[in-house]
Amino acid sequence: MTKKTLVFYPGCIMQTEQYSYEISLREILPVLDIKLVDVEGFSCCGEPLKSVNRMITLVLSARNIALAESRNLDIFTPCPICNLAFRECKNILDNDDKIKEKVNGFLAEEGLTYNGISKVIDLLELLYDIVGLDYIKKHVKKPLDLKAAVHYGCHAIRPSEIGRSDDSEEPRKIEDILEVLGVEAPWYPEKLDCCGGLLNMNLPETALTKTGEKLRSIQEQGFDLLVDICPWCHRQFDSKQKKSGETVAYSLNLPVVYLTQLMGLAFDIPWGKLGFNLNLSPVNTLVEGR
Amino acid sequence: MGILDLTSMGEPQVDVKREIIGQLERLQDEIPEYCYQCAKCTSGCEAHRLLELEPHRIIALLKRGLIDEMVNSDIIWTCMSCFKCWERCPQKIAPVEILFLLKNYAVALGKQIPGNYTAALQSVLSKGLIQDVKTISTRTGETKSRRDVGLPEITKPVDPVKFQALISKMAVEKI
Repeated sequence: MTKKTLVFYPGCIMQTEQYSYEISLREILPVLDIKLVDVEGFSCCGEPLKSVNRMITLVLSARNIALAESRNLDIFTPCPICNLAFRECKNILDNDDKIKEKVNGFLAEEGLTYNGISKVIDLLELLYDIVGLDYIKKHVKKPLDLKAAVHYGCHAIRPSEIGRSDDSEEPRKIEDILEVLGVEAPWYPEKLDCCGGLLNMNLPETALTKTGEKLRSIQEQGFDLLVDICPWCHRQFDSKQKKSGETVAYSLNLPVVYLTQLMGLAFDIPWGKLGFNLNLSPVNTLVEGR
Repeated sequence: MGILDLTSMGEPQVDVKREIIGQLERLQDEIPEYCYQCAKCTSGCEAHRLLELEPHRIIALLKRGLIDEMVNSDIIWTCMSCFKCWERCPQKIAPVEILFLLKNYAVALGKQIPGNYTAALQSVLSKGLIQDVKTISTRTGETKSRRDVGLPEITKPVDPVKFQALISKMAVEKI
């Protein structure tokens, strides 16, 4: 039985290059009785352009939400950056009729209207609050015996003023989900450190330094892997791990996976169906023999 | 010459200051005048150690109306948008949001936009997304498209001309 049906908003980075996130999401969510509806016509959420023009960010977010609202469904945004943009847009438009009217004037060009009826749901809210730990536990067939470092990503937990799905200083939801999968995820000092990803826009070397420094600390502390949920962070930690290792002059070989990929493994879905061949970090150790 | 050297001879720009503060109050319910320079923002700033960003100084300069000094400096482009400054401020001020508005103002003045922001903006204008869909490499060096890995077509604006008209109109708008 379908538990919930949601419009699937993929955002830019996931659907243009972070395929293992999208593959694993589309694989595990049906198992948890969540149905995703694809909608034609979405654009960028606007958040990466907030430095250039805040109005563009606001209207792009409103445009995407309006498109989803025409289906009368809530919106699922797996990328925490898109999620933040949409929730901020809702906060502004739902509390200021003058701005809403102005934005709707723009959207009319494409025949769209922002009403504010759809909720915007991120991965942590979906897995932890809507699906729930008990329901996830029911589907775990092969518990994983691993020790993971968890990286939430800045946009997933801050700013709480806008409404995020976990605590800004002591987030627990990923750890709690991992525990159900049999994965131990102890606290480590660098847990809340930024991946540097957004600096890619103008200072890519510094971004890689941030990434490399965090990966080095995690590797030195003896973790088996790093688990993340943000396509921007994952691009830094996994896709650019080799480059970031070169930048900080350290030999990095830390497996980095999306939470959704790990859930698939614990659900006993073959790893070939979870995008594991697309991780560029050495994830072989996690999937070999499975 | 750093920002602080310039401030000694700077002239405050009262009108710009008023406009930025007005936007902050409207969007964030935030009042920068309440800042008492405790520098908790700077102590947690992700861009502080590597790039020397000091959010509390940004607020101090804004309070004095010294906007030109900031929009003429690269320092406003070093923020990583980690939102720790906003999260931890005892006065609920958001230096990160002030930096967004300062960068917006610099762009509106026609200052050079650094790095890939221009490319990202152009890509959104022409395709609706910040980058083209990529053929990616597996760990063993094979190349794969979305179709190869069994994913559906991407979602993007159906009518690019109408979409472009929308963004072009917004680009000259203010909140």
